[in-house]
Amino acid sequence: MPKLAVLSEIQRKSMQMFPCIEHDDTPWSPMAKPLSESKLALVTTAGLHLRTDEPFISDHRNGDTSFRVIPRSAGAADIIQSHTSLAFDHTGIYRDINVTFPIDRLPELVHQKKIGSLSDNYYSFMGALTDVTGIIEESGPEVARRLKEEGVEVVLLTPT
Amino acid sequence: MTTTGIVLIEEHAQRVKPPRMLAVPFFFGNALGEADNPEYQHRVLQATFDLLDRDQGPVLEQLPDDMVPDILMQGSETANESQEKGLNAADELTSLRAYYEQWVNAHAGRTAVGASTIPQRRFRGVVRFLEGYISGEESDMKERPQDSTVPQFVRHCVNDLKAFYYEARMAQRPDGADRDIHDWFWSKTAMGALVMALAQRMRDDEDAETKAVAYGIAR
Repeated sequence: MPKLAVLSEIQRKSMQMFPCIEHDDTPWSPMAKPLSESKLALVTTAGLHLRTDEPFISDHRNGDTSFRVIPRSAGAADIIQSHTSLAFDHTGIYRDINVTFPIDRLPELVHQKKIGSLSDNYYSFMGALTDVTGIIEESGPEVARRLKEEGVEVVLLTPT
Repeated sequence: MTTTGIVLIEEHAQRVKPPRMLAVPFFFGNALGEADNPEYQHRVLQATFDLLDRDQGPVLEQLPDDMVPDILMQGSETANESQEKGLNAADELTSLRAYYEQWVNAHAGRTAVGASTIPQRRFRGVVRFLEGYISGEESDMKERPQDSTVPQFVRHCVNDLKAFYYEARMAQRPDGADRDIHDWFWSKTAMGALVMALAQRMRDDEDAETKAVAYGIAR
């Protein structure tokens, strides 16, 4: 986003008042080897999922903290978005899913030998959650377990 | 595992303190900068992967770019003129169908329509359902999935109708800027007026779930 100072008042207040979690410190995992030798996975909070999956829901109590698996083999035509917010401009995603979920860019980087390899599965969560407890306690650890099981070493996180 | 990522609201990353984040100046929905611009998307990805080389964190850096994006308006900031022109959403939708199908055919079947599971040829029925819902009738559709509440189903219907309109418009005006499509939907179309009326109807509802859905539909 541009700096909040240049946004309209309604947008600025919405961003400033958003109850995101605050931490005092940061977990740190240094790179074990170069990216060009690492297996990378893509994880997004764009509310994307396979067309055949259950859509994400707008849960007014805790938000939808579930996740969806998107196989790397899925093409853009297989993936849709059921993000809680329809108010932001989705035009870019309608045109090209890579603008938020770079499924075509990553294989190009493997081909260029900048990334070692890609995981077989990517993961998607709903963004704009006001309570992420369910992700911290349940769905987040489950996705981390699956990523480790698949030998993933680097995770790329994208929002929408 | 080592993580790196893109953040749209730098001020939020300052509070959360994730290990490595690249703050980008783009609006929601455009994390990698620009649709159909692989070269630019690769620049953003490279800047994100460059953060993996840092020795300690948290790392929060800005995309090295002088690009200043437009500021998009919210639906509530526009005046919709469709009512003055006597437009109605069902006929308008029908008039756009050929363009929508042109978009789908040109993109190997790819469409953002699908969350409601209603085929697009039944969308006039969806419009009638939503108009009834706005007017306070006991409105429902037999196609609503049993595990989806009416407010959630309304959200998925709006998701599909907006995607239908935007994709039709992109087929109709292939060189149209995103901002112009956004402006067209909210200020010119009867569907934009219907969605705003729908959001107001849901905001006024006493049910917390319905209010929550309203916030996502339009503001």
